[in-house]
Amino acid sequence: MNLDDIIQETKTYYCLECGKCTSICPVARYDPSFSPRTMIENALLGFEDELVFNEKLFSCLTCYTCQQRCPCDVDFAMFIRKARVMAQNNGQHGACAHSGQLQSLARLMSSPHIKQRRLEWLPDKYRISDESDVLLWVGCAPYFEPIFEDIEFRALDITEASLKILNFLGIEPELLSDEKCCGHDALWTGDVETFKKLAQHNATQIKEAGVKKIIFSCPEGYRTFKLDYPSYGFGLGCELQHISEFLAERIEKGELKFNEMTKKVTYQDPCRLGRHLGLYDAPRKVLESIPGIEFVEMEHNREDAICCGTSAFTNCDTYSNMIRAERLSEAKATGAEMLITCCPKCQTHFRCAMVDKGEEKRPIPKIEVMDLVNLVAGALGGQE
Amino acid sequence: MAEFEPQIIAFTCNWCTYAAADLAGTSRIHYPANVRIVRVMCSGMVSPMYVFKAFEGGADGVLVAGCNHTDCHYIDGPVKCDAMFARLKKIVHVLGLEDERLRRELISTSEGVVFAQVIQEMVEQLRELGPSPFKIKAEAVA
Amino acid sequence: MEQVKIGVYVCHCGSNIAGTVNVEEVARYAGTLPSVVVFRDYRDLIKSDIKELGLNRVVVASCSPRMHELTFRNACQEGGLNPYLYEQANIREQCSWVHDDKKVATEKAKDIVRAAVKRVYFHESLEVKKAPVNPNVLVVGGGIAGIQAALDIANGGKEVYLVEREPSIGGHMIQFDRTFPTLDCSECILTPKMADVGHHPFIELLAYSEVAEVSGSIGQFKVKVKKKARHVDESKCVGCGVCEEKCPWKVPSEFEMGLGNRGVIYIPFAQAIPNLATVDADHCAYIQSDGKKCGACIKFCEAKAVTPETLLNQTDQIVELEVGSIIVTTGYDQFDPSVIAQYGYGKYDNVLTGLHFERVTCAAGPTGGKILLNNGKEPESVAIVHCVGSRDQNYHEYCSRVCCMYGLKYAHLIKEIANAGVYEFYIDMRCFGEGYEEFYKRLSEEGVNFIRGKVAKVTDRAVTDEEKGKLIVVAEDTLLGKMIRVPVDMVILCAGLEARSDADKVASLFTLNRRADGFFLERHVKLDPVATPTDGVFIAGCCEGPKDIPDTVAQASAAAAKALSLISKGTITLESAIASVDETKCLGCGRCEEICTFHAPRVVCKNGVMVSTINETLCKGCGACAVVCPTGAMTIRHFTQEEISAQVGALTEAG
Repeated sequence: MNLDDIIQETKTYYCLECGKCTSICPVARYDPSFSPRTMIENALLGFEDELVFNEKLFSCLTCYTCQQRCPCDVDFAMFIRKARVMAQNNGQHGACAHSGQLQSLARLMSSPHIKQRRLEWLPDKYRISDESDVLLWVGCAPYFEPIFEDIEFRALDITEASLKILNFLGIEPELLSDEKCCGHDALWTGDVETFKKLAQHNATQIKEAGVKKIIFSCPEGYRTFKLDYPSYGFGLGCELQHISEFLAERIEKGELKFNEMTKKVTYQDPCRLGRHLGLYDAPRKVLESIPGIEFVEMEHNREDAICCGTSAFTNCDTYSNMIRAERLSEAKATGAEMLITCCPKCQTHFRCAMVDKGEEKRPIPKIEVMDLVNLVAGALGGQE
Repeated sequence: MAEFEPQIIAFTCNWCTYAAADLAGTSRIHYPANVRIVRVMCSGMVSPMYVFKAFEGGADGVLVAGCNHTDCHYIDGPVKCDAMFARLKKIVHVLGLEDERLRRELISTSEGVVFAQVIQEMVEQLRELGPSPFKIKAEAVA
Repeated sequence: MEQVKIGVYVCHCGSNIAGTVNVEEVARYAGTLPSVVVFRDYRDLIKSDIKELGLNRVVVASCSPRMHELTFRNACQEGGLNPYLYEQANIREQCSWVHDDKKVATEKAKDIVRAAVKRVYFHESLEVKKAPVNPNVLVVGGGIAGIQAALDIANGGKEVYLVEREPSIGGHMIQFDRTFPTLDCSECILTPKMADVGHHPFIELLAYSEVAEVSGSIGQFKVKVKKKARHVDESKCVGCGVCEEKCPWKVPSEFEMGLGNRGVIYIPFAQAIPNLATVDADHCAYIQSDGKKCGACIKFCEAKAVTPETLLNQTDQIVELEVGSIIVTTGYDQFDPSVIAQYGYGKYDNVLTGLHFERVTCAAGPTGGKILLNNGKEPESVAIVHCVGSRDQNYHEYCSRVCCMYGLKYAHLIKEIANAGVYEFYIDMRCFGEGYEEFYKRLSEEGVNFIRGKVAKVTDRAVTDEEKGKLIVVAEDTLLGKMIRVPVDMVILCAGLEARSDADKVASLFTLNRRADGFFLERHVKLDPVATPTDGVFIAGCCEGPKDIPDTVAQASAAAAKALSLISKGTITLESAIASVDETKCLGCGRCEEICTFHAPRVVCKNGVMVSTINETLCKGCGACAVVCPTGAMTIRHFTQEEISAQVGALTEAG
C-alpha cells in the first residue's frame, strides 16, 4: 500500500481543490485543524508524512457527506480508509475512543482459538431454529451490553425486539453461536488484517449454516457484508437485508398491522444505511405505517443528514461532542418526543452525548432515543 | 518439547499489593517466576485496556490486585475497581475466556504470604488450562 | 520531542541481587534497547553521566521503588535532571529475592528492565508545587476531645474555631456524674476547661452551630458553618435563667436523658458555655402562633435579650471560615437497647441505660443525687448488665471498652448512696487502665455480687412470691453452671458506644471513610490513629472508636500536635502525579466529576465550551477519572495510559 496506489484507486487526482468537501464537512465545521481538502492536497503533493502522521487522519467520520457533494467523484472515505492502513503500518493507530478497547476487542475476537459464549442472554420465550432459511445477525450486541452499561444502552434489546417481530411473523430465525464482529471498525481504522480474519471466520460460518437470507439490525454490519466482504473476496451466496427493508416489505404485503401509538417522532438517517447504501425510504415507510405516529423530518435529512459524530470508535473529542449537540438540537427543534434511529452506534453516541454527570450541566438538549425496531416491537398487534 | 510456562501480568496497587509483593521479597518467600508486576497507584487506576493489552501481548493470565475495601489510601478505589472488573468479566466471558485467567484479589500490605500463594495457585491453574485462547503467536502450544 | 537518551544502571546490591541475577548480562541487554545510550552494572556515575552524556531519562534496576525511588530521584535532580524523568526497575524484592533459578531470574530481570526502559521513554518533567498552609484550625465537636484539642492549639498561639451543634459545649462528659476510677466529679474537672475555652483569646466558639459545607484541601479549606438561631440576642443575654423559670411550657430535657424537664426557652445545664439561653422554636407557643400566645420570657427578661424581634425574626446565619486543617471530634451515640426486646428497656419501668444513671446519681440531676425508682422509693437491689449491644454479632461485634469500668463505678455509687444490693452481670471484666484493676478489687470489699453470665432476659413475670413486683434478671452463672433468677428493683443496662447516627453525613462532609464497625477510619490503625486518608483532616476521641477519657484526651492532644506541626511547617508539597485534562478531547460529560471521591474534577464553562478542570490541590492521582473518561481527555501524569500500555506491551514481548 503506497500513496500512489491510494491516489489511483480513489481517484483523488481529480480533485479540483474547490473546498466543497471541507465546507460541508461536519468535523471541519467545528475543528479548525481538520480539512479534507488539505489531506488530499498533501497526498497529491507526495507529503506522505503530513498525511500519515497527522492525528486528524483518524477524525474523519467517513460519513460520505463530502463525496456526495464532490463535483469530481473523489472517493474520500475510501481514501481515508486506505491512508489509515498506511498509518497503521507506520505504527500510527490513532487516538481511539475508549482507549482503543473496541479495536482491541475485535483483535482478541479474531483469534481462531476462542470459544465464545454468545447466546447466554437469549431468553426461552423466543423461538429460533437451526433449520431456518433466515439468519438474524446479532453482531456486537452481547459485548455492547457490559461496555455501555453506564449510558444504559442495551443493544440486545434491539436484537430481542427483532426476534419478537420475526416470531410474530411466524419466522423462527437461526442465530449463530459463533459469529464474530463483522470487522467494520477494524476495516475503517486501517486494520485490514484483523478484518480479514473476522470476515473469513464469518463467511465460513454462514456457508456452513446454509441460509438463504441474512437480516441485519445494524447498518454497519449490513454495509460491511454487502459491500466490503465481496470486495475482499468473501462471497456469501445469500440475500442480505436490513431489517427496515424487511419490515417495509412485509408492511407492503399487508402482513404487519400495528396498534395505535401516539407519538411525535423524528428520524436519524445513519450514514452507513443512508449515504453509503442509499436506504432512506424503508425506515420512513415503517414509521408512517404505525397509526398515531406523527413523523417530522429534521432540518437536515436523507442525503443531507448529519452524522452522529463518531465513526468506528476512532477519535472522539470535543468536536464530536459539538456535532452531536448540533444534531440533537435539530431533533429537539422538530418538537418530537423521540428520536428514532436504526443504528446501534448512532444510539450509543447520542446517549453518551446526553450523559451529564457534572454539577454544571452541558447545554446539550435531551431527547429520548429509540431504535426503529424497538418502536415497531412495541406497536405490534392487529392480528392473532 | 518444552513444558508450557504460563505468563501472568499482575496489576498491583502501590500502597497494598505491590508492598505485599515486596514483603514476600524481604521475607524471602519464593514463588514461581511466571509473574510480571505492573505498579499502579490504585487498583482503581486499572483500565480494561491494560488487561486487553496484556492478553493481546500473549499473557496467559491477568491478576488485578489491590487494597481491601477498608484500607484504600484513596478511600474507595477498590469499589471503583470492582465495578470496572465486573464489566470486564462480562466482556471476557462472552469471549469465552476461562474464569481462572482473569482474577481479582484483595491483598493488603502485610500479606506477602498471600501474594505468593495466589501466584503459585494461578500458575498451577494456568499450566492445566494451557496457553491463552488469545495467543495467536506461533510458539508455545502445549 | 527532543531525542530521548536513556541511561540504565543495574545494581549488584552486594549479593542481594547479583547472587541470583546476572547483573552484567542484564546491563548489556539494556544496552541493546532503543534510546539507551549508556548502560552500567553499577550506579555510581548517574550524576556525571547526565551532565556529560546529556541523558534525559534514567532507569535504575535495583530494589523496590518503595525503598529508594526518592533517593534516586534526588540524585537525578542533583545531576540537573527533573526527578520525574526517572524510573526504577524492581529486580530485588520482586525478582532476585523470590526466585532461585539464576537463568530464570536473569531473564525476568531483563523483562523488568525492558519494561522500565519503554515506560521511562514516556515520562515527562513535572513541576513540584507547594501551597501555603492557613494557620487557622477548625475543631468540630465540643466534647472533651474537641475542648482539649482547641485548648492545645490555642495555647500554642494559633486561632481555633470550635463548632458545636448543641447550645453548649461539654458533650457527653458533662452529663457524667463521677469518672472512674478516681470518682472525680466530672463537671468539676471539665468545667474549668470549658471556661477556658469560653474566655480564650484564640478560640472562637461557635456553639449551636453546624458545619454545612467543606471545600478545598489541606492548607486551604473553606468551610461554611450554619449558626442556628437561638432567638435570643447573644450580646445581651447574661444567662440568669429567669426566662426558663418563668416559661410555662416544659419539655423533656435531652441533657437529663428525659428524666427531667427543661423550659422551651432554656439553658441546658447550670455551667453551660456559652452561658446563653436558647429557644426551642418547634415547641415555642409564641413562635408557633406568630406572636399571639405566651411571651412570658419577653416580660421577665431584664436584659431585654428576648424580644418579639428575636423570637420571630432571628434566622440561621451562614459564617464562612478559612482554615488549614480540621479536627473532627464528633463523639459517639449511646447504643439504644430498645432493640433488644428481652432486656425490657422502654417496656418496664426502672430499666435504665448508663447515661440515665449518670443523671440519677448526679447531685444536680433530676433526683437530686438520690437513686430513686419511678415510684419515688429507693431500690433495695439493682442489677447491672454488661455488654448491652457490644460484643454481640447481632448488634456490634466490638467491645465498647468503657462499660465494664462504668458498670463497676455504678456498683460503688449504689453502695455509697443507696446501700442497695448490687448484682453485676458480666462476661469478662475489662480493667485495663491506670487504677482500673485496683478499683475492681476494691468493689469486692464492698460486697458487690459478681455473676459471670450474659443476661438472657429481664422480665416482670414472677414465679415465686419473692419475685412479685420485681424485675427478674435471668442468666446462667457460668462459673457455677447454674441458671439463676435474680429479683431486683432496678436494672442498669451498660449500653455500648456506637458511631453517631449522622456519621454518614459527617463522613461525606469531611471526606472521611468509615470502618466496618461504623467509626471513622484512621490512616493506620497502629501507627497513625489520628490522621485520616484525607490530608489535613484529623479525628480524635470516640468518633474514632470507643475509649475512656484519658485516651480521648491523649488523642485530642495528638491531633492538635499534628495540626500544629502542619502550621509550623507552613507549606505543603502537592502531589505531582495528578490528573490533567486535554481540553480538545474533553466532552464535558462529567463522568470524572461523578466518580472522584475528592471532588477534584469539575466541569465548568471555558471559552464557551464545557470542559473538566482539575483542582490540583485536591487531586490525589488515584486514576479513577482516567478510567471512566470515554475519550482519553483525562490522563494521570506519570501514569499515562500510553506509558502503562508501553510497559505492559514490553512485559509480554518475550512471552
